[in-house]
Amino acid sequence: MRVTYKWLSKYIDLSGISAQQLADVMTKGGFEVESMEQQAYGTKLVVGQVLSCVNHPSSDHLHLCEVDVKTEILKIVCGAPNVRANQKVIVALNGCQLPNGEIKPSVIRGEQSNGMLCSLSELGVDKKNLTDEQLAGIEILGDDAVVGDSNVLQYLNLDDTIYEVSLTPNRSDCYSMWAFAKDVAALLDRKAVLPEYSYKAEKLKNSLKVVLDTDKSDCFVGTVINHVEIKPSPKWLVDSLHASGIKAINNVVDISNYVMLETGQPLHFYDLAKIPAREITVKNGLNEMYTALDGQQYHVLEDDIMITTENKAIGYAGIMGGDDSKIDENTTGIIIEAAHFNSVNIRNTSRRLSLFTEAATRFTKGIDPLACYSATERSIQLLIELANASDIEETVVVNKNDYKPLTIECSVNKVNRLLGTNFSYQQVYDVFRRLDFKPEEIDNDHILTHIPSYRRDISIHQDLVEEVIRVLGYENIVSTLPKMATTQASNAYLGDQERTMANILLGNGYSEIVSYSLISKEKDDKNVLSIGSPVRIANALGEDRRYYRTGLLASMLECISYNIARGNQSLRLYEFGDVYSDDGKQSKHLAIASCGKTDVSKWQKLQQENDFYSMKGIVLNLLDKFGYEEKRVFFKPFEQTDTILHPYRSSLVYIGRTLIGVIGQTHPKTDKEYGISSAVVAELDLKAIFQEKGAKVKFSTINKYPSVSYDLALVVKEDVTASQIVDTVKKSAGTLLNSVEIFDIYRGSNIDKGYKSVAVNIVYRSSEKTLTEKDISPVHSKVIDSLSRNLDAILRD
Amino acid sequence: MEQNWESLTKQFTEMIESASDLSSIESIRVELLGKKGQIASLMANMATISKEEKKNYGMAVNSLKQKTEKLLSEKIEQLKEKDMLEKIQQEKIDITLPASRVKYGTKHPLTIVREEIEDIFMKMGYSVYNGPEVELDFYNFERANIPADHPARDMQDTFYVDENRLLRTQTTAIQMRVLESQHDKLPIKVICPGKVYRNDDDDATHSHQFIQIEGLVVDENITMADLKGTLELLARSMFGKQREIRLRQSYFPFTEPSLEIDVSCHICGGKGCPTCKHTGWIEILGAGMVHPHVLEMAGIDSSKYSGFALGVGVERVAMLKYGIDDIRNFYNNNIEFLSNYKRFE
Repeated sequence: MRVTYKWLSKYIDLSGISAQQLADVMTKGGFEVESMEQQAYGTKLVVGQVLSCVNHPSSDHLHLCEVDVKTEILKIVCGAPNVRANQKVIVALNGCQLPNGEIKPSVIRGEQSNGMLCSLSELGVDKKNLTDEQLAGIEILGDDAVVGDSNVLQYLNLDDTIYEVSLTPNRSDCYSMWAFAKDVAALLDRKAVLPEYSYKAEKLKNSLKVVLDTDKSDCFVGTVINHVEIKPSPKWLVDSLHASGIKAINNVVDISNYVMLETGQPLHFYDLAKIPAREITVKNGLNEMYTALDGQQYHVLEDDIMITTENKAIGYAGIMGGDDSKIDENTTGIIIEAAHFNSVNIRNTSRRLSLFTEAATRFTKGIDPLACYSATERSIQLLIELANASDIEETVVVNKNDYKPLTIECSVNKVNRLLGTNFSYQQVYDVFRRLDFKPEEIDNDHILTHIPSYRRDISIHQDLVEEVIRVLGYENIVSTLPKMATTQASNAYLGDQERTMANILLGNGYSEIVSYSLISKEKDDKNVLSIGSPVRIANALGEDRRYYRTGLLASMLECISYNIARGNQSLRLYEFGDVYSDDGKQSKHLAIASCGKTDVSKWQKLQQENDFYSMKGIVLNLLDKFGYEEKRVFFKPFEQTDTILHPYRSSLVYIGRTLIGVIGQTHPKTDKEYGISSAVVAELDLKAIFQEKGAKVKFSTINKYPSVSYDLALVVKEDVTASQIVDTVKKSAGTLLNSVEIFDIYRGSNIDKGYKSVAVNIVYRSSEKTLTEKDISPVHSKVIDSLSRNLDAILRD
Repeated sequence: MEQNWESLTKQFTEMIESASDLSSIESIRVELLGKKGQIASLMANMATISKEEKKNYGMAVNSLKQKTEKLLSEKIEQLKEKDMLEKIQQEKIDITLPASRVKYGTKHPLTIVREEIEDIFMKMGYSVYNGPEVELDFYNFERANIPADHPARDMQDTFYVDENRLLRTQTTAIQMRVLESQHDKLPIKVICPGKVYRNDDDDATHSHQFIQIEGLVVDENITMADLKGTLELLARSMFGKQREIRLRQSYFPFTEPSLEIDVSCHICGGKGCPTCKHTGWIEILGAGMVHPHVLEMAGIDSSKYSGFALGVGVERVAMLKYGIDDIRNFYNNNIEFLSNYKRFE
């Protein structure tokens, strides 16, 4: 909302309060000043008189002027088409700071120029408030301007400060300048003096019939004025509207807007001649097309509220009047409408039609239930003064509104208890006096407050507490910390686990990313470890942000692609994120990805591979940290041919029988699509993981007997897996087995095609004695026998 | 047979001393102590000596042998030491060559800030609560004192899924769940971090997705002074001990009174600079005393209990703290951007 210093000073004595101080007071009181600017600006301005004006010898549009500024005669080159001798003009002297820069002595096409003759837009006046004529040339001052006067802005009445104040939704009352002025006065502890609007006029008998044929309007105040004279508004009225960003039209229309600004009550004036039946009915909308006074056609729906006469629409209630009943230069009589319309309907209609008029804004936010009366009276008074209004009829009121004045008992004790303050009874009482809540003493703790009708935000005791501290100032609160019983803090569900996992990943060179949860359907379909069908956003920003992702890998691939396109080839990344399904499932996932080779030492030519096995290692380490030992973790070939993953280099991961994740290298098709050269990714379902029980840390005595190590080289068929070999060894070796590990895979000369040589290290150990050849040999033979029987393994020498 | 033992001793000693490396000392050892060495031949002479002289001769030879052995082993040790010293000297490396290491990864700046704030509160005994991002209108709005058609709904453009479901627009929704589940287990002392969503076009200062953290305390006798103290503590923990705060009247449907909190600028200390738009203050937090209707809706007696709530935007804090000028940096995840945030401060 726009407010100006001068406008407020009409109601409040602001002497001794600077524009900045006023801004600070408003901001602290809940009216945040978002910007503050001068209506017009210029440091060294002076009134001058053009003594002579001749065409510039080497230009077809410039003029050479001699300008008297009292102290001297200046030579100024001026390009304005309207400059003439004898005019009084605004002169910006050398060194003058204007919104668009500083004026300096210059030579323009060979002619010396000392200063500039100014237009109002050059002084920073909003172009919206200027006529075409003013925009086309310099400002010509009246005869009353005094040559040499340096208070040019004051002379022009442009020395105001304009504040852009943001009103919180609860303080819609302050869309009324009067209510706003009263509140600012209360904050300043000064008195607001509002205009008197009594007038003397004989009232004719009312000829208007008003019907409320809808439950969406509960009050209509109508007044017929049979005679008005349309003419331009006086300057003060035009200036006031301009300061609020409203265009001046004519005296009658301007009065309706001005009174709306003053009282917060939107008004509509109809041309009396165009409503011959003298009948107004407020109705629900019919399905029809309707032309509003902006000349646009709108489609009316039943939810809309319409003003009608003789069953014909003449206005979009509370939003915009009709084209065919609007005030124009031929208007000689009017009907004043001051009514209430349901805020929800107005909100919906104005949103649907994108008609956010001043009236619609006010109705949407809610208005003072009593303002319709004061607004009507104030309009009549101004119409009499400025439009020679006469033959005024009695006001007709149809009111179904059940507004009752509200009183609330305030307990000073309770105020202090909630605030943690020690305000005295008198201090609290004074706040209510300043706010015009007409306080009455009940006893030494209680004050009865009368809430003004416009303060619709106040309904309970706590609202009064807010008023007290707002007016007295939050700086009066002395900080403390809550005095409570000691509570034991706990982290969020999976919060601790997330931090531990992150630390492992960070230590291994993985960096965290945070990506958008909303993605396209097409992208979400790429997720491998998906929780279900995705949640769809009804009013999404676009198709690419239509669904809440059901897995994290699609976003991870995007991020890899984004980085590779920017030359970051070697990546190790992870992300934690929620996933949801449309049928209500929810989990937290962890995605991990790596690509390229990770340098360890360039000059030593040391690099770490980022392949399936390094990812498998990271995943096993993460699981082991929480007691899910390697022996409980199973990897099952994924072998799906139509996913983002390489079907023969990917795996599902299980703890026992619970699927907890997936690991895989990207499919060559994926690489092509994302412009990457192979990445390896993993996604884990943390909820699934932590539903499993992890092993506890247990002490075991350190074995004092030595171990015996054997290496075996086995030739097996290609399709024999490492885990088959290891499992066979484990099964056949029995209790003496300490460990079994694959330490080499060899293919090539001496090995037939379709076969591979696998080197296995087997360690035997007993916790009871030192093992001898005699102890081990039968066991080891059994192992070899079992490998040969079960896997057709041939022992190499 | 006369022998000049002294001159022999001298001769042997000189021989041993003259050795310059391990191979020459070995040949000297063979020459002196070997099976056919000088001492062996002196020993052999014993057979030719008269009985009377034998004893003295034997003692002298033995003494010479012992001396020689001792000298030899000392010399060998000496030469080995010398050898080793020469060897390790040749092993000298250029310690200024680069280390071999896998550089550790970096936490996302939003996580760093979120965890920092979580930790500030956890140390004071606040528990951390999460909630669903796909949330019910009921918890996001209704319970937060924002019924359907409330003008405050216009303050937040909401992503709706259907009539009842939406993407939460505020972590207030988590607070409302905590109030409901713990209304009979007071006091409440929690913080609720999480992602929230608004139907806003992304630009340098707006993001349709961002992270909020809200704190909530409910107990008997919780005052606005307690809130102010907590806000001060939070501001100083985040932006330095010298920070002051300024409370301004504001409006949130779920608190009454409601506040916005400015923190004195951590860049200029309050003198005015571009970061604080020359005001000396930066708006960072929203807060207030929990609205009695919100307590009552959750089944908490508002005449007995009171509470405060506060909220902060993690992106905003991170941008101010690190001087980041475009919010989209957080979600682009350029590794060069992310790798800046490698230190805990």
